[in-house]
Amino acid sequence: MSLRKIIALWIFIVSAGVAIYGFWNLYNQSEIGYWTMAGSLLLISVVCYASGIHHHIISKRQKGLPMLVYGTFVLSAAALSIYIPNPLDLRPWEIYVRIPNSFFFSLFMLLSGLFGAYLSFRPFYDYKKEGAQVGAYYVFYLTLLFTLFPLFLIIFNIVTRGMGGITWEFLTQDIVSMGEEGGVFPAILGTLAMISLTAIIVLPLGVGTAIYLAEYAKKGLAVRVIRTAVNILQGTPSIVHGLFGYAFFVLILFDGKKCLLAGALTLAILTLPIVTRSAEEALNSIPGELRDASLALGATKWQTIRKMVLPPSLPGILTGTVLGLGRAAGETAPIMFTAVYFSGAGTPSSLLKPVQALPYHLLSLYRLVGYRDVEQQAWATALILLMIVLGINFIAIILREKYRQRF
Amino acid sequence: MFAKIQELLEKESSCERTDLPDRVKMKVQDFDLWYDDIQALKSVDMDVEENKVTAIIGPSGCGKSTLIRSLNRMNDTIPSVRTEGKVWLDGYNIYDDVTDCVDIRRKVGMVFQKPNPFPFSIENNVFYGCEVNGMDVDKDKTVERCLKQAAIWDEVKDRLDENALSLSGGQQQRLCIARALATEPEVILMDEPCSALDPIATAKIEDLIDELKKDYTVVIVTHNMQQAARVSDYTAYMYLGELIEFGKTTQIFENPKKKSTEKYITGRFG
Ligand SMILES: Nc1ncnc2c1ncn2[C@@H]1O[C@H](COP(=O)(O)OP(=O)(O)OP(=O)(O)O)[C@@H](O)[C@H]1O
Ligand SMILES: [Mg+2]
Repeated sequence: MSLRKIIALWIFIVSAGVAIYGFWNLYNQSEIGYWTMAGSLLLISVVCYASGIHHHIISKRQKGLPMLVYGTFVLSAAALSIYIPNPLDLRPWEIYVRIPNSFFFSLFMLLSGLFGAYLSFRPFYDYKKEGAQVGAYYVFYLTLLFTLFPLFLIIFNIVTRGMGGITWEFLTQDIVSMGEEGGVFPAILGTLAMISLTAIIVLPLGVGTAIYLAEYAKKGLAVRVIRTAVNILQGTPSIVHGLFGYAFFVLILFDGKKCLLAGALTLAILTLPIVTRSAEEALNSIPGELRDASLALGATKWQTIRKMVLPPSLPGILTGTVLGLGRAAGETAPIMFTAVYFSGAGTPSSLLKPVQALPYHLLSLYRLVGYRDVEQQAWATALILLMIVLGINFIAIILREKYRQRF
Repeated sequence: MFAKIQELLEKESSCERTDLPDRVKMKVQDFDLWYDDIQALKSVDMDVEENKVTAIIGPSGCGKSTLIRSLNRMNDTIPSVRTEGKVWLDGYNIYDDVTDCVDIRRKVGMVFQKPNPFPFSIENNVFYGCEVNGMDVDKDKTVERCLKQAAIWDEVKDRLDENALSLSGGQQQRLCIARALATEPEVILMDEPCSALDPIATAKIEDLIDELKKDYTVVIVTHNMQQAARVSDYTAYMYLGELIEFGKTTQIFENPKKKSTEKYITGRFG
């Protein structure tokens, strides 16, 4: 690793640290957050810009102008923000908002950071391979950081706030006095039952559709129609699924009564496109040569699919299914009209009885905050829901690894 | 329903027949093939003699693969393909409506250009054909017979349960040959079986082809003129979808009747 890279990395780590600090402050509604965030962005852009200059020099192209423009811009931005009266009073213009000085400062920092990043990435496109390579490296590094960060923030946040409410009682008891006491045991069971049932319904449907699309259907109008339908289904808001489930399953099939089965059917429709698409992708990723080899040995089409195509695509199918179930586990809208009660349903006992479920429980507790002392319980519920979703994904990883070894 | 089955059964027994000349295993007769509107084979006529090696040569894109894939109806897997004409196997027209592709492919095995073993164990690779055809044979014996016939037994006999993908390219190709032998085919088609292999592996496969013709009828596509001269008894020269010349390999190479053939085999093509 060259010295330049070490320095760049160091600055990068520092600015990432500042960015995290900024997020943390922002999250605690402290003003300091704005400018720390903006500052970190500025720092990062400086790193990129520095490496950009480096490549300016090695490519012997004299493009001093962007740097000059940038420097002027940053300096004048800083100067301007200092001269803005503190705090800015807009009342003379009949705007009754008071804007603190630091807001402008951070806004300028942010803008100059963005502008700097733009300027510094731009030259990468002018250079031949090496410059583009370095540029790509930094860009992807940045993207990675900005993608992982919110995830960590969410998990950290929910774990720290929810931990306090997790007790043995909370995990094993039914809800008492509107959630102020007792726990979420029936809701946990209800959620697990609901997604298991969803899996049982959606797997054969989704995989069957995918097999039809990928293996049997002639590439024509019918396939395009089905595929478009699947896409539309995927883009449909979950509340629409919920209303459909109520109108069709609950009112028509189940005599106006909410029940576990109606919820699972609705969730199955919700997850169907995810399962179908991932299964189709997995099937399409099996090379045609293997199919040809199998057919050439006198296997029928179905034998080929069953023995050659399905087993190696199983990891992909499972991953897609489990991701879909992870989504289903956290959905509230599709089940609130079709399957769940806040309290009184008890542990699931029949497919045709309503259940309690964690996402709806969380929503109900949230609505009660302010009237009842349930905030701690709400965070704890969120934590359990998060754990279940993470657990499902963990299972997906294990399954995938296991099957990968077999084939 | 019963009438329908009756009809099918009658059809089954009514597959178009003809009497082929002695020693002719397969006969391609006035065969045309189109990919959508593009005609890739133009009224091809060719005899494949029993227990002999027939080579198909010709410049790239002339339709060699298309022709060899027509011999076991592998072209049926491509939706845009349309055919006319007949291909006889033992006096039965394999393009008759009532013939079952699965039967044909069991009798006419195929080895592809790129080695394509299945991603599971060596023995399961070999046994796959028997399994899907529901053949009532002893697994270990079949595996051993086929691997020995494909001259790869000594190299893999201690690792039959290993994944076939761990073999080298040349070994993989011989495994694919062994796999094709397991269904007890009568004809073996090979589409450029050596093009992904080094000279030593190629020599092994060529020796193997020489061995195989004792028990099987072999059709091979090759780009390598020396290979065609070395291994084949008959040679077919194709150009732009037409079969220009067909005859004994010695005759084609020493005394070609057509100018185009001569140009191609002497390397003055173009
Ligand atoms: N799946 C397909 N769809 C449409 N056209 C095809 C298809 N396969 C082959 N063709 C066309 O048919 C003609 C013959 O192709 P073929 O693969 O039989 O040639 P080939 O003699 O085997 O060539 P090569 O020596 O390069 O393998 C070519 O013009 C090719 O473009
Ligand atoms: Mg070819």
